[in-house]
Parts: sequence; C-alpha cells; structure tokens
Amino acid sequence: MAKVTIYSTDGCPFCAKAKSFLAEKGISYDGIEVQSGSSAWEEMKKKTGSGSLPQIMIGDEPVGGYSDLVHLEASGELSRKLGLAGKEEVTPLYDVIIIGGGPAGLSAALYAARKVLKTLVVSKDIGGQVAWTYDVDNYLGFSQVETADLIAKFEDHVDKYGVEKLLGVEVKALELTGKIKKVTTVDGKSYLSKTLIIATGKRPRPINVPGEKELTGMGVTYCSTCDAPLFADLDVAVIGGGNSALEAVIDLMKVARKVYMVCSTFPKGDAILRDKVLSSPKVEVFTRSKILEITGKSAVEGIEIKSLETGKKKRLDVQGVIVEIGLLPNSELVMDTVETNRLGEVMVDSKCHTGVSGIFACGDVTNVPYKQIIVAAGEGAKAALSAYDYIIKQR
Amino acid sequence: MSEKVKIYSTPGCPYCKMAKEFLLKKGVEFIDYDVKKDKEALKEMKKISGGALSVPVISVCNEVMVGFDRGRLEQALSCLKQSSKIE
Repeated sequence: MAKVTIYSTDGCPFCAKAKSFLAEKGISYDGIEVQSGSSAWEEMKKKTGSGSLPQIMIGDEPVGGYSDLVHLEASGELSRKLGLAGKEEVTPLYDVIIIGGGPAGLSAALYAARKVLKTLVVSKDIGGQVAWTYDVDNYLGFSQVETADLIAKFEDHVDKYGVEKLLGVEVKALELTGKIKKVTTVDGKSYLSKTLIIATGKRPRPINVPGEKELTGMGVTYCSTCDAPLFADLDVAVIGGGNSALEAVIDLMKVARKVYMVCSTFPKGDAILRDKVLSSPKVEVFTRSKILEITGKSAVEGIEIKSLETGKKKRLDVQGVIVEIGLLPNSELVMDTVETNRLGEVMVDSKCHTGVSGIFACGDVTNVPYKQIIVAAGEGAKAALSAYDYIIKQR
Repeated sequence: MSEKVKIYSTPGCPYCKMAKEFLLKKGVEFIDYDVKKDKEALKEMKKISGGALSVPVISVCNEVMVGFDRGRLEQALSCLKQSSKIE
C-alpha cells in the first residue's frame, strides 16, 4: 500500500475528519503537524502547491484536502491510488445501513439523507406490508391512494436525496455488537456501518403443516386481494378467524363456488363482516377446528381438518387455501442480540433504541403498538434522528 | 422483442402493479394480461406455470416466475440483453 501523509494542525475540523476517515478504513498514515510559516508548512507548500490545511499526499502525489479524499473514495480512485485495486476493495463505511424498505425504512432513509449521513438501504423489496392491501385511505394527505402509487412516491422521495439502495437482496447475517456493524447478504458480500436501523417488518404467519410450502403459489396463497379472482368457480378454504380472514371470505364469496372457513376458535372480527360471512349460503364455517395437512401433487387438491372438540377428522376437497392467521415479525437476524417480546417483536424505547449501542429499530418489527403506515413512517424518522445523535456523540 | 416478457395479473394485486412499474422503470416492454377478465389468459398462465393460482406470473424468455421477486426478475431479464447483442 502506498504511504499516506497528512499535513494538519490542531483545532482544524477537516484535518480531524480526514484522519478519522482514514482510521475508519484501516488506512495508516503519517501525520505532520504544521504551523503557518513553519518549515513543515514550507515543505507542504512546495510538495502540494497549497497552503491550506489539511493536505494529503498518497506516495509523492498530492491529492488535496478532506473533500478530495471523500471524492476519491466515492469514485473508487482511492483504492487504485493506494495500490489496493484488484486486490481488495476498500469497503466504504456507511453512517447508517437501514434494513428494510417499507414505510419505516424509507422514512428513516429520508431523514438520514437529510442529515447528510452516508446511507444505504438493503431490502428484498420496496413497500413492506403496505403492499398487501390494494389501496390506502388513512395516510394523511391521501384520502384514497393505490398502494403501489404510494410506495412509488415514497421511493421517489428517497431517490431525490440520492440514497444508495441495494434491492432484491436478502440479508444473511448481522454483526451488531462491535463499534463497526457488519451486514452480510446472501450473495456473500459485506457492508460496514457505524449504525444499523432494523426496519424489517412482518411477514404472513405460515400454518406450518405438510404441503403448505410445496403448494404455495399452486393454490396456497397469503394475498387474497391478489389471488381471489383466480378461484372463480372453484372450492376454497380460508384459514383464520380475524378481520383479514373474514375479508378474504367476502372476496371469495363473489367468485368461488364454495368457501370453507376454518378457525381455531370462532370468527372474531368486526360484526359487520361476520354477519356478511355467516349469512352467505356459499360459506361453511368450521369453528374450533385445526388444519392438519394440505394435499395435492402439483396443485392443491384438498385439506384435512380436525375438530378440537370431538377430535374427528374431515377431508375437504378444495383447490385453494388462503392463509390469514396473522403476522410474524422478521426479527430472526437480531433475536440473539437485542431484546424481543413474547411475540418476537424487537423492544425499543421512545427513541427507537434497542439497548445495543448503535442499533435502532422501527416500524412493524418493533413492539410499538398500532401497525399503521403513518406510525411506521414516524418511527422511521425517529430512528434516523436517534442514529444521527449517536454518531454525533461518537465524534 | 416485446413478446419476450409477459405478465399475468389481477387489478387488485399490488405486487403485480409493482412488478409492472419495475419493468417500466427498466425500460422493458411487456404484455400485461388481466386474468380476472381474460379467461383464455388465465388458462395460458396455468399452463405455462404448471398450474399456478397466484399472481403475478411473469414469463421472461423461457423462464416462468410465480410472484414478484426483484432479484430473480432482474436476473431473468439479463437474457434480453444477451439476445439483443446477437441481433
């Protein structure tokens, strides 16, 4: 690696920044203390052609001050000048890496970018759980908006600030405890950051019965608003007893031939939905029942259910199974390190701290009540501001 | 060229819309079939996907995907670049 020299002086903020920039990247340097008019200053002027501080040299080449250094890094030139190119790229150090691209994660990204933090969003997708409904009518400023349009607006807003995004990529592992946090993705790449914001949201809870995984997409679905029309003139079963399950039954009543509802207790949602379902001649409800298995070779052919009262088993011939039994927080990656509640949600305080220094969390993955878009967005903003406070205090 | 990407969707499906916007942003031409209305297209969708009952179903070149998976779709789209190079 080429030798790096910094001419600097005490009380010069950009000198300190340049030094910590190099230190964080593990680049060693010689620091030369310079007073105006001193012999070191004369030497610096002769070598670099400049009298302002700091001045940085890589080998015999003057590269300028702190902003030039950052620019070199951003363009990938720094590692080439250091003679590291082709061997190992110098990994950039982010101020904040946000995991998750729903309303919480994107709002955090916006606030982080506005604080001029070097920000990266890593997410399998954009939108999060919002994408499971077709339209939204309770987000302030939008009396009715299609979900996909709202998500596109969120993304455009974040893009205006040039936030780096790594999409379509799943995170495999996180290192949360050191001063520098590490994010490793399934493709084996690693990303370093001073702080992490966990905004990973929730996912549909699977039933965990044989046949479920194998037949997902082949009759088993978790998005009734998407797939209900495909079950026209077929027999289907809805698993679950809450509002989402009732809504799925109502969607299906319009198109399917027969709709079975299988719930472990009895339908529990709003009376208005329940009445609609219970009065339909197309619907048959199995209360106090449990699904044991989904059968079918390449597509769903039936399910087996069991009464929790009598223990009697029954087979239903259906071509579709719609699963609506609630949600699971995506907290597996952090569960060993941060505190979670009995639902698996990450515990945070009122400033989105997790209890592990430099790790923040926001949105539906946390214990914050009321899983709403506007709540998630607000929590995302708080998490970013807390991360900013943390970084400032570390300096 | 435009026949290489087909998407089978329903009007109430946010993932379908997101997939279409993703393709638009990438400048990829595609044909969109509304399988809620178009029963022939629904038949075709089931046929090419081995009986899928979930949207979106997206076919790119010779690959058929059930669901919108950004990473996988992006990878599948690389076949378009290759074939246009040959042309």
